[in-house]
Amino acid sequence: MNKVIKSIVLLLLAVSVTFAQGFKVKASGEQTFNFEDKRNQVKFFSTTPLEDITGISNAVKGKVTLNVSDIKTMKGSIIIPVSSIKTAIDLRDEHLRSENWLDAENYPEISFVIKSVGDVKVSADNKLEAKITGDFTVHGVTKETVADVSLTYLDASEQTKQYAPGDLLGVQAKFNITLSDFEVENMVVGQKVSESIEITATLRGSNAK
Amino acid sequence: MNTKQKYVVIIALVLIAAALILWLVSGGEILSKDGVWVEKEMTELDKALGLEPQKEYQAKFILGLLPHTAVFSGIVAGLSIILFFIFKTKKTREKNE
Repeated sequence: MNKVIKSIVLLLLAVSVTFAQGFKVKASGEQTFNFEDKRNQVKFFSTTPLEDITGISNAVKGKVTLNVSDIKTMKGSIIIPVSSIKTAIDLRDEHLRSENWLDAENYPEISFVIKSVGDVKVSADNKLEAKITGDFTVHGVTKETVADVSLTYLDASEQTKQYAPGDLLGVQAKFNITLSDFEVENMVVGQKVSESIEITATLRGSNAK
Repeated sequence: MNTKQKYVVIIALVLIAAALILWLVSGGEILSKDGVWVEKEMTELDKALGLEPQKEYQAKFILGLLPHTAVFSGIVAGLSIILFFIFKTKKTREKNE
């Protein structure tokens, strides 16, 4: 009986190892990456009949924890303050923060909380592409959203030290949201903004404690 | 049209044309901007991390068609219309009548 149980456990372990998709790097086990750095950026892109609007925030906060050998274990969140978004027109920034738009006073943050990771494709030992499903919250409304993400793991080296101590995780993510899903009017300073907003995140995280 | 009226029309046209040229030279943006997004040069580390180029904000006023050029042109046009009627002499009035 013991042999049978051992065999099943071994088989399950073998199956989980076979299907676990992760990085093949020096680091192992669970690692937590901190993304709070002014060099990180989240970009919002929309079109209006008058011009394209780019809103950018460099006040990214958040942490992500993952098992290096199994990317599907990834958990964490990325947050940006609404007040940090700049669109290159001060009046438009004010309008963006106002009650009629993102209502920064009542809903000061935009967040993405990771729920699951799927469609993992290994493009190199330290590079993966995946679809990350998460709860995206803006204007106090939360919707499940899927982001196309590429992840690159760099073990600590002389090169990575220039940026931060510890191993680095590079995250390039992109997804679209529909404004009406989040109960946001699509007019900003008299311009009708496209219903669909493209969101791009360019992030570097360090696991240094 | 008397000489004063001619001057008013010419000055107004020159001012509006100058504003439009300045707007075009400034980049021909529809809306005036308080800053610009400049693409940052990618570092070797960013390339190794698989990241895309980022943009950096630089505070810089960019003259747009709206509101500055349009408002300026509108004010010039309005003032020139008022001056045009103020400078209407008796002679031109009689001529028109």
